Formats: sequence, structure tokens, C-alpha cells
Amino acid sequence: MTLMHKHTLKTAQLIAAGVAAMLALSGCSAGGSIQPEAGAKQVKGGTVSYGHQQEPACVFGGWIEQAYLSYQVLDNLVSLDDNHTIVPWLAETWQASDDQLTWTFTLKEGVSFTDGTPVNAEAIAYNFDYWAAGGNSTAAVWLGGYYESAEALDELTVQVNLAKPYPLFAENLTQAYFGIQSKQALETRTEEENCASPIGSGAFTVGEWNRGENIELLRNDDYTSPPANARHDGAAYVEKVDWKFISDATTRVSALRAGEADAIYDVPAIEWAGIGEQGYDQLKYVTPGRPQQISFNTARGIFTDENLRKAFVYSLDRESIVDTIGKGVIPYEGNGAVSRTTPGYSEKAADAYSFDLEKANQLLDAAGWTERDDDGYRVKDGKRLDVLFPYSGGTIINADGASILQGVQQQAKAAGFNVDLIPIPPSAAASGKYSGVDGYDISVGYWTSVNAGIQYINWRQNLPESPNNWNSAFYNDPQLEDIIVRANSAADLDEQNALYAEAQEYIADRALSVGLYDRLSTLAVNPHLKDVWQESAQGGPVFHDAYFVE
Amino acid sequence: MTRTLSSRPADAATAARRPILSPRVRRIVEKLVAAAVVLWGAATAAFLAQIALPGDRATTILNVRSGQTQLRTPEELASINAEYGLQNPILVQYLDYVGGLLRGDLGVSYQQHRPVWGIISEQVGATLTLTAVTLVLAWVLMIFWVTLTAGRGTKIRALGSGVDTVTAGLPPYWLGILLLLVFALGLGWFPVIGGTGVDGIVLPALTLAIPLAGFMGQATRTEFERSLTAPFIITARMRGMSDLNIRLRHVLRHAILPAVTLSGWAIGATISGAVIVESLFTRPGIGSVLITAVDSQDLPVVTGVVVLVAATYVVANLLVDLAYTVIDPRMRNS
Repeated sequence: MTLMHKHTLKTAQLIAAGVAAMLALSGCSAGGSIQPEAGAKQVKGGTVSYGHQQEPACVFGGWIEQAYLSYQVLDNLVSLDDNHTIVPWLAETWQASDDQLTWTFTLKEGVSFTDGTPVNAEAIAYNFDYWAAGGNSTAAVWLGGYYESAEALDELTVQVNLAKPYPLFAENLTQAYFGIQSKQALETRTEEENCASPIGSGAFTVGEWNRGENIELLRNDDYTSPPANARHDGAAYVEKVDWKFISDATTRVSALRAGEADAIYDVPAIEWAGIGEQGYDQLKYVTPGRPQQISFNTARGIFTDENLRKAFVYSLDRESIVDTIGKGVIPYEGNGAVSRTTPGYSEKAADAYSFDLEKANQLLDAAGWTERDDDGYRVKDGKRLDVLFPYSGGTIINADGASILQGVQQQAKAAGFNVDLIPIPPSAAASGKYSGVDGYDISVGYWTSVNAGIQYINWRQNLPESPNNWNSAFYNDPQLEDIIVRANSAADLDEQNALYAEAQEYIADRALSVGLYDRLSTLAVNPHLKDVWQESAQGGPVFHDAYFVE
Repeated sequence: MTRTLSSRPADAATAARRPILSPRVRRIVEKLVAAAVVLWGAATAAFLAQIALPGDRATTILNVRSGQTQLRTPEELASINAEYGLQNPILVQYLDYVGGLLRGDLGVSYQQHRPVWGIISEQVGATLTLTAVTLVLAWVLMIFWVTLTAGRGTKIRALGSGVDTVTAGLPPYWLGILLLLVFALGLGWFPVIGGTGVDGIVLPALTLAIPLAGFMGQATRTEFERSLTAPFIITARMRGMSDLNIRLRHVLRHAILPAVTLSGWAIGATISGAVIVESLFTRPGIGSVLITAVDSQDLPVVTGVVVLVAATYVVANLLVDLAYTVIDPRMRNS
């Protein structure tokens, strides 16, 4: 008995000591300044450890996550600078004919792809046909309805023929979907090779891709063709970019804080202020184009009624939801057609609706939705005011975005809407199950673009002879399409912007789509790494100019 | 001669009673047939589940490639349907698929454009390593904790089984975040981004091993405490054996059979279920491959991984059967 007792005591002490040690250890934390000393000097070479969120299946493709990656490897014909001016990249000069139907690009001399073949007019023309044929699905959408053919006039001059005038044509080519690849590589390599390591003339080449972990970008030592808005000529300063895929936001931020990542993408709103106070450099880019917006199904269901659409919008205090969740990092966006950083943005369209519960209730009463059930939802002829609202979580809508949508659901309830908010997995979202006219009452999503021409994609009519499944409101209106087409073709910039604004107001007046928040591309960078910047077409990170200081 | 003759009838009688195959061979053949049936069933179930998913597969492939979610026109879908034979009747697609499996051809990924074998073989090493380390850690933790606390005074016993219950129920994501913040970010003992390095495996494996240890501990503890009071233990004590020795050499052997069974299950579960840990610690592995493939309806990859996991279950259960006979010799003849 004595023996047993002694034993128990010993064991108890052991356990207590273990618990105490655990507690003591967890109390420790990392500290110290992360700032480089004043007068720290640039060091040569080095590897940038960059933590990105999503891993695409291929480097090049029509998804923004692919654009961010392919931008490092491929050069475009032209680039967009901070002032939204088109500047030379592979093309030194470009010109549209007077009728805007013929575009001529003159290439830089002596540029080669990393497989040794020349960047010449023939290769450029080949790339245009390749995109239009679906080689890049998003590029194909932009070219659709406008692009006819491309031909090499001589070694360095390429001519592109359009079906309709399109003054913004060159501007659209600044998006990484239009990255130029080696013709030889496209013709002779396997699909698998061109997927995993496309051959361009860019600042980096694709090294090893450890799926699920990282992709190595190796410096192209012979790089001669940075865009005119790059901060230096010639090859990149760093030898390598270790582009890691860190899907979990906590891990990403922890990796930055632990010094394992020099830069990370998509900082959660809740961490933004803290990261800044700790001395990390922060970069924020509001993507132009379609913002995170909701569009109503105008072809089927309750929202075919304009007044019900308006009632729904009036029931929402969108600004307060976004400010609460976004903590001042995510900007509120009232405009449903284009975001605030898009040229031709209409403030009037953005301010068309503000929170007015009384008005929402009046509109609903007037529409006959007068009764309420025990849960407070409105009922008419025994039918509840249900709103089917699926969203694609994790890909199109991130965690902050999902919280904002929950706020929408809560607020609409006060007016009597029963919003059925359904997070759908990527496969269901992509399968088209929730995309047809029966798939939703409200759809949510963004589409980045460098100009308000995105409205042509989102609002062109969906007709049997010219289908347009990107019209997510199912709103076929020749008048709206006409305004947008005239805007696209307007030669004078002011006239163009006025027409684009008119289209935005047309959309707002009818409550076809309203904005929620602007889609962001954010970076946090360790101050030992200088001159990382975000390109202006889509907000992707640029590492060509980046260098370490010590 | 006479001797030989006289012995013959006896031999013949034995031969007549003996089946064509020896019991041992027969058992192996039976196991192999059962394994093949399990694999075929898993492959078929995975195929049918993919076919039954809502929406159109060609649309999914195209939308995933472009990060979009809308419907597609027949013209857009034509090339994809033709490339992967998606316009064929389901039966034809199924036979193509099973035929491929029989030839050892798992097909080509819709999204990565490369053979599924390549994708799996590239990722399986990391997963198997994680599984093995998890299992070892779980066993070490479990044996340590059970031996330390089982059959002691009331308070320690309560603490022991209390900790088992709590750890068994810990959500891996929460536990992983906690370990990451304390041991990687706070103390800097391990890297935040695990990767495939040796020091990178500790936290991911612990995240999986702690709940597993609790789970196995619950199963082991009851048996352990029952054995402690068994007559042969009292005999051993009377022989003057130390308490620790008795616990480790005699009691444990009796008590661990349930945990061995659970380990067989855990091997399979870790391979397919490690995805949370893989994503948290940025480890490559079959789990994340499976999730990505399911998200993009990349059927060849999904079915390939399912067949692999099924094969692992089969092998793990064979190993468990084998382990039984080693641990408890009485089972050899049963």
C-alpha cells in the first residue's frame, strides 16, 4: 500500500511537471525588429520565398491565378503602367488605322524566347490564333466578336485585323492572358510540357514544380525585354523565386512572421493592421473590372420584378457590412458594373441605392408580399419570399467575402426575404449546376479587366446565334448592348467614358446588378526585400526588380 | 518393396482428403481474390460517384481551366467531349476505364494533362511518410500515457482516461493551428511551412497522432486495467518482477490488440484524411491531390487515388492479421 502510494505521487508529479513545461513554453513568442539597419546595402542574388494561396493546374491559362504565375515567365506585347497608360513591352510601337480595324505592332529587335527561337512577327501572329482558338479561354472571350486574323508583315511587324473598331484593343493585351509563347514550343512540345513550363521570353523560367508544395522560378540570365514600366533593365536581381502554395491564411501569415516567407499574397483583413504595425511593407491593389457584385436573375423567379430587386437592395446596408468585416481594408463598392479603379467609373451608379428599410418594405407591400410567417419572412398566396443564393466559396469568394454574404443574408431578413445562402464546392460551381436560369435568384462574383469594356462580356445579349453565358443576370436588352458597343468603339476617350458611365447607370437604374466590395490583391513583404511591386493590369506580384538588402 | 506397397494405401487416403491447394496457399488465394474484388468495387464506386455528380463534366473541365462558373455552348464543349470521350455512353466510358485499370493505365489528368500514375507516384511518398511517422508517434504517446496512468490511484486513472477522451476528440485543424502557433511561430523549433524536410514532419504528424493516440488509448486502457488484476500478473509480481516490467512485458501484450486493429484503419484514414494537415503545414500529399481532383471533377485522378487508398486498406488489414498472430500466438491455429 505504501509502495503504491509513493508510486502514485511520483506519477502525479511527473504529469504536473509536464503540464507546467507546456504552459511555460507556450508563453514564449517571437520578437525583435524586422527592419533592416539604416544604410543596408543591396545584396546580389538570393531566393525570394513567396507564399501564394491557390495552385492552378497549369502555369498558363484563363484564370487569374494562372495570370499571376505566367506573368513571371511570359512577356506581353504591351504593359500598363501606374497611370493607366499603355507602355512598350515586346512591342516598341503600335498603331491603329483610321478606321480602327487594322492594328500594327512593331517589335523590339533581338529578343529571344528561352528556347532560343526569335520573338518575331510570325510568333506573335501564331499566338493570336492560338488564343482565339481557345489556347487561353479568357483571352478568347476578349477577342471574341472583334478578332479576325493576324499576319506577319515582315520580321518585326505584325498586323492584326479586327471585325469592329476597338480602340481599347491594345489595352486589353496588357493582361497576362495575352502572354506570348514560343511558336516552336507550342507546335512541338506536348500539352503536358506547355502546361507545366510554358516557354516565353520573360524574366524567369519555370524550374521544378513540386505539386502541392511549390514551383521554382529561375532567373532568365539573358533577359533583355522588361516592360517600359519596369524599374531596371536586364535580368532579375534575384536568382530564384520559390513560389510556395500556402492555402491556409494562418499559415501564410505565420510563415511571413517566422521569416520563412519574404512575401505573402492575400493577407486576411483581420491581420492587415497588425502586419503593418510590425513593420512589414504592405501593397494593396483594387482590381479594375467587375467588382464583387450581386446580379439578379431577371429571367425567372421573383427578381423578374424590378421593384423586388430594388426592395432587396434597399434592405441592405452594404457599406456597414463591408466596413465591419473588411476592417477598413476591403473597400465598399456600390457600383455593380465596374469597380472604382476602372476608367469611366460612374459615381452616380455607385450611389444609386443606400440603406432604406422603409422603402424596401413599401415596395414589397405594394408588390403584394404583405403577410409574414412566424419567422418574419414575407408570404404571398401561401408562398414564402425565398431567395436562392449560391456562391462559390474558397475560390471566387474568400473567407472575408463569405462573412460579407452572411451579413447580406441577415439584413435582407429584416425586410422579409428568406435568403438561402448556399456555399457550393468548386466542382459544383464549375459544373454549371448553379449557373443556368434555374440555378439561382442571385449570383455573386467578379471579373477582372483593365477597362469598362468588361460590360460587353457581362451584359451583351445571350442570343441563339451569338450565345453569351457570361450575362449572369440573363438580361437581354439590345439598348444596353448598343450603349456598350458604341462605348467600345468610341474613338474619343471622353465620349467613350461617358458611354461606359451611361451603361453603368442603366444597369443601376434597373437594379440589374449592385456592387458589394472591391476585389483586392494584397501583398505583405518583409522590409529586407525591396522593390516588389504589383503590376497594374491585374495586381499580380512582380519579382523582376526585387532585391534583398542586408 | 513390400514396405513401400504397404504404405501406399495410407498415402493415397491422405492425398484424397487433401485439397488441391494447401490451406496456406488457399488462404492466400482467397485473400488475393477478396482484394481484387475490393479494388474493383472501389474503382466502380468512385467512377459511378463521379458520373452521378450534378452538372456537366465537360463544362466543369472548361470552367475549372478558366476560373469561371457559367454554362458553355456546345461549340465550346465539343473539343473537350471529343478529347476525353465524354459523349460516349456511360457503359462504354466505364469499360474503357476498367480496361485501362487492368492494363495498369489510370489515364491522364483532365487538368494537369499528365498521366495519373505520375501524379500519384510523385505524391504518395510524402503521404506514406506522414502516415508512418503518425502511427509511430501515436503508439509511443499511447503506450507512454497508458502505462503511466492505467491502474493507478483513482485520480490519476481519471486524469489518464480524461486526457484520452479529450485528445481523441480534438479537431485536427484546431490542434494543428495551436501546434503551429506555439512550436513553429512562438518557439521556432520547427518550420511553419513543413514541406518534405525531416523537421517539417514533426508538427503535421503530431497533429494527427495526438487524437489517434487518445482514440487508441481509450481502447487499450480498459483491457490494460483488466489484465493488471489477472492471476498471471499476480504470479509475476510474486516472482519479484518490477511494476514497470510487468506493465510493459505482460500487460501491454494483452491489451494492445484493439489498438492494432485501429492502426489498420488509421493507415487508410490518414492517407485519405490528411488533407487538413497537408494544407495547414503546406505538405504535398495524396489528400490534397484528391481534394483538388474532386473539386475539378478530374475523374481519372479521383479514381486513381481511390484505388490506391483501397489498396492500402487491403494491405494494412493483411498486416494487421499478421500482427495478431505475432502478438498472440494462440491465434496461429485459429
